Amino acid sequence: MTKKVMTIWLGGCSGCHISLLDLHERLLSVFSDDVELVYSPPLLDFKEIPEHVDVALIEGGIRNEDNVEEAEEVREAADVVIAVGTCACFGGIPGLGNLFENEELLERAYVSTPTTVNEEGEPPSEDLPELTWRVHPLSDVIDVDIMVPGCPPSPDDILEAVRCALEGEEFELPRKSVCDECPREKKGKVIRSIKRPFEGEPDPERCLLEQGYPCLGPATRAGCGGRCPEVGVPCAGCRGPAEGAPDQGAGMISALASAYRVEEEEEPGFDPVELAESVPDPVGWFYRFTLASALIPFRADRGEEP
Amino acid sequence: MPDGWYPKIVAFCCNWCSYGGADTAGVSRMQYPPSVRIIRVMCSGRVEPAFVLKAFREGADGVFVGGCHLGDCHYQAGNYKWWRRAELIKRLLDEIGIGSERFEYDWISASEGEKFAEVMRKFHERIEKLGPLKLNEKLELL
Repeated sequence: MTKKVMTIWLGGCSGCHISLLDLHERLLSVFSDDVELVYSPPLLDFKEIPEHVDVALIEGGIRNEDNVEEAEEVREAADVVIAVGTCACFGGIPGLGNLFENEELLERAYVSTPTTVNEEGEPPSEDLPELTWRVHPLSDVIDVDIMVPGCPPSPDDILEAVRCALEGEEFELPRKSVCDECPREKKGKVIRSIKRPFEGEPDPERCLLEQGYPCLGPATRAGCGGRCPEVGVPCAGCRGPAEGAPDQGAGMISALASAYRVEEEEEPGFDPVELAESVPDPVGWFYRFTLASALIPFRADRGEEP
Repeated sequence: MPDGWYPKIVAFCCNWCSYGGADTAGVSRMQYPPSVRIIRVMCSGRVEPAFVLKAFREGADGVFVGGCHLGDCHYQAGNYKWWRRAELIKRLLDEIGIGSERFEYDWISASEGEKFAEVMRKFHERIEKLGPLKLNEKLELL
């Protein structure tokens, strides 16, 4: 019997779909005579979510009422739901919106950005779905069977997840952290000072975090091969928390504080406030991709009205 | 103070000093508010930032962590590690809207029962003034 697969995007950027399309000819290794793609916004022009599919790939998290409705409809239709990408798994970059009131977000996006022309000075409202009070990962709204993190996940990861879903196998993610895969040399695990990514020229061989660059490697799940730090870009944490860690940011705070100037900690005059003050943007560093699924997933002093 | 509300404070106390301090306060019958729930850990250096965040998530209005005096740590330098972590946590709490004033840490030795009771009384008063955190209600919003 032909198996049916669908893909859909919710509160995402379509990047994960592009990663899926990056499979190129290998798409044919999945979608052959026995496996049919029945719904996919970037590839097929169908308007209605099918009544039944075997596997559904959902990209993006929950940002508005429309996302909630579609997520529920897909869950109803699909035997296996795969959350593709960090937005679906953890809320992703849009999750940082949870630091602001919804009115502030709309005002910023539709009125006050320098490139926006909005003569009425009001955000659009007619016929648009309402924003939810905050951004959620998919799993806050529906049951998710398989998670494929990454921003975007690699085409191979998506392919493997779909294969596992179709054949009823378990999809496994690496359990280690990005540091385990990073080719850079780690020497002493001591951090002397915190640098901004644009400051100075990093040593091409040594661990970026040990050099003071804001790398989230220790708190992030492996599987990417450490390709950002390999080329001198500190890990931003796009694959979410490492195995067993409930909260990526908390894990990073712990790792960073433990290693900061550890050899001189008992000297008189050592001031830990120095470390706290030299971190320019704690949420942006520690929770860039996972705020919406963190232990404290929004600004606690936000108003309660949606 | 809102009707029917009484502060909930979670206090992580290290086995060797602060927990001993709480013990001393107890056996000496020193008074401090029952809003404080003590959780014993072996060392303040064992307290992960996630413990603090989880306590707030589960309904704490304030979180306290007590360790040995600097230089007195049973494990040499666990409290120094905690000290750096604590300052970073404060920074995060301000950014995330909980506010660093709902979080406190101090060094209390096993003989300092009076100091333990005093620190708890002051922290309780501060949380009472700040009022409930109300995180639970917001966590349920879609």
